[in-house]
Amino acid sequence: MLVTTSDSGQRITALNRAAEQLGFLPGMTLADARAIHPALRVDRADLAGDHRALMRLAFWCQCFSPFTRADAPDGVSLDITGCAHLFGGEAGLLDMLSRKLGGFGLTAKLAIAPTVGAAWGLARHAASPRLVVPRQDLRSALAPLPVAALCLDAASLPALEKLGLKRIDDLLDKPRAPLVARFGPLVLRRLDEALGHEEASFGPLSPPVLHAVTCRFAEPIITREAIEIAIGRLTADLAADLERAARGVRRVELRLFRVDGWFEALPLATSTATRDAPHLARLLGERLDRIEDRAGFGFEAASLSALQVENLTGRQEDLGDEALVGARGDIAPLLDRLVNRFGARHVMRAEPHASYVPERAARAVSVLKPAKSHDWCAHARIVQDGAPFARPLFLLAVPEPVTTLAGVPDGPPTRFEWRRVAHRVASAEGPERIAPEWWLAPVGASRRTRDYYRVEDEAGRRFWLFREGLYERGEDTPRWFIHGVFA
Amino acid sequence: MKHAFDIEALRRRIATQERLTPVRRPAVPLGPAALDAALPAHGLATGALHELVPAAHGDFAAGIGFGFCLLARIARSRAGQVLWAVPAHLEHREGGLYPPGLAALGFDPGRLIQVTARKPIDILWALEEALGHAPLAAVVGVLPEKARDYDFPASRRLALRAAAQGVTALILREREVPGMSTAAETRWSIASLPSRLEGMTSRAGAGFGPGAPRWQIKLTKCRKGTSGGRSDGWSAGWHGGRPDNWDVEWDHETLSFRLPPPLADRAPAWASGIDSSWAEAS
Repeated sequence: MLVTTSDSGQRITALNRAAEQLGFLPGMTLADARAIHPALRVDRADLAGDHRALMRLAFWCQCFSPFTRADAPDGVSLDITGCAHLFGGEAGLLDMLSRKLGGFGLTAKLAIAPTVGAAWGLARHAASPRLVVPRQDLRSALAPLPVAALCLDAASLPALEKLGLKRIDDLLDKPRAPLVARFGPLVLRRLDEALGHEEASFGPLSPPVLHAVTCRFAEPIITREAIEIAIGRLTADLAADLERAARGVRRVELRLFRVDGWFEALPLATSTATRDAPHLARLLGERLDRIEDRAGFGFEAASLSALQVENLTGRQEDLGDEALVGARGDIAPLLDRLVNRFGARHVMRAEPHASYVPERAARAVSVLKPAKSHDWCAHARIVQDGAPFARPLFLLAVPEPVTTLAGVPDGPPTRFEWRRVAHRVASAEGPERIAPEWWLAPVGASRRTRDYYRVEDEAGRRFWLFREGLYERGEDTPRWFIHGVFA
Repeated sequence: MKHAFDIEALRRRIATQERLTPVRRPAVPLGPAALDAALPAHGLATGALHELVPAAHGDFAAGIGFGFCLLARIARSRAGQVLWAVPAHLEHREGGLYPPGLAALGFDPGRLIQVTARKPIDILWALEEALGHAPLAAVVGVLPEKARDYDFPASRRLALRAAAQGVTALILREREVPGMSTAAETRWSIASLPSRLEGMTSRAGAGFGPGAPRWQIKLTKCRKGTSGGRSDGWSAGWHGGRPDNWDVEWDHETLSFRLPPPLADRAPAWASGIDSSWAEAS
């Protein structure tokens, strides 16, 4: 039996048949179980590993239908509309699925139903491990199941059971309004979805592929050099494909299929549309770090798919700001390499934002987004209201509290201590009063006015301090913070 | 005179052997004539590596500020973006670059690409990659104090790449490393100075407050130059007739440095030209 540790102690998450027959149930505490039967064999549950395995299974199930969904923690849903006939009808599909899953060493409970909700419940709660329910029998098949078969949330399930509504039968044909009033809209929505009164569907597991090239190897390859050669071939093929379609890629994914059925996926995004094969090959090559450790018994096939494409018809003359746009076009390969190495969140450019609140006056956007030309000069003039040098060079992400000594309560400090270093203020300018954007702040958040001061200490270092809150407004005592450092 | 000619010939011979400057790049004058005269190219050489070192622990922002003022001047004469690479932990400690503050100094934040990396070696990788791209105007890297990866070969690689493409590289060391030898063209030490009080009437309040940023900059290293090289303080403030440190003030409107009027108790006026005998002797 497997246990997980939570706030309320160790609880059983999974158990084998022998333990089930002894009367144990998932959710019991380990202490209770040990008290009943001291000779239990207990192991820690690997929830992340379970999830990885489930995703693997879901990916494998794509050979039956692209519309596949992993239902954490314990199931996979497939939308087999229009697919079943390929495998000898619904019964044939079920046979094949159960045989193949058996081959993996898995015991599966399978159900085919006209709605995804009904199939979810039937697979988990029906007595038979293999079931095909046609539309006319749907109601009668669902009726004897417990309400848990409706895929409800943790709150409404105990509420239903407490009132004696234990089976779906108890909910069918009941007046709807009182049920909604008491349990919220979820219960009836799930019921409608299961019965097919309401639409429920899901998209494909893998994003649709627009252009794809594959290559299969005569022998499984393991070494990095061999993989790089394969990437060179794939990118050249994809580039030729894109050239014909007059398109360039923004997102591609390389998949290396392992002999044992799993695959390694290397997604890649570029800052502008490209079909430059050497550039793509180089970017992908940089991602192959320690690929040999993950190769297992080798890769037997590889595919390169374009997930997002844009029209690209030769190089276009830029008509806009030449200094900015023209140069940007040429540094796209550099940006791609930086993003490839550091991640999209670590290669940013700044965009102005119309706000007087300092931390909101500028925002960082990824270089993968198209660059726009901004008039920073005007923006700075507006936020500083004409004063030169009224904004610091460095802004602390979170203002840090400082201890201050002020001559008069609502004047600038005469000395302050920041990070255990005392500074004597030689000159100060302010206050610059910045009121919070009350229309944006969430209810209950602090909405205190800040008075900003530019102060210079005796060594000539310039700091941006603010006092949060005002005196004699019935609020707490105002506190001082440092928000930035000037050049 | 024959003696002087020989030295010129020798310099040319060394320059061809060094292969560091295959193309003569224009220099960006800093503004004040006295400052430019101290630099062999009569300005900050572009397509070269320059190092900035804060004079004290609290002068980090001053060093970066001075760097961005240099960049504002470089960016005016060369189109393209500027790459800024900084270790993530330093950004947490010192705060992030604040674009409106850059705009206030006269540098267009729209031309900045910001990269945060975890390790100094990644910073150096990003700088080296970027220096190979001619469309950039400049690259700036911030290196923490304990960046062992930045040694002479690493700096030499950066300098060669910078020279090949004409992209200027600035490196800000968190602190001066004693006995450090790098291939940088110049090294500057920057300290904050009290600014001139200025009368203000704006939304930012009325009264006298800190004015334009002012720093004391010291040229501690200058290749092919005739001054600097000392790190034993600046007691005299001048060096064989030529100073190696200046009090400068940044003018955000003309994008130039200016030397504010000297104060009464400072060393005598030094703008008396070049002491040629000293220059030859070096």
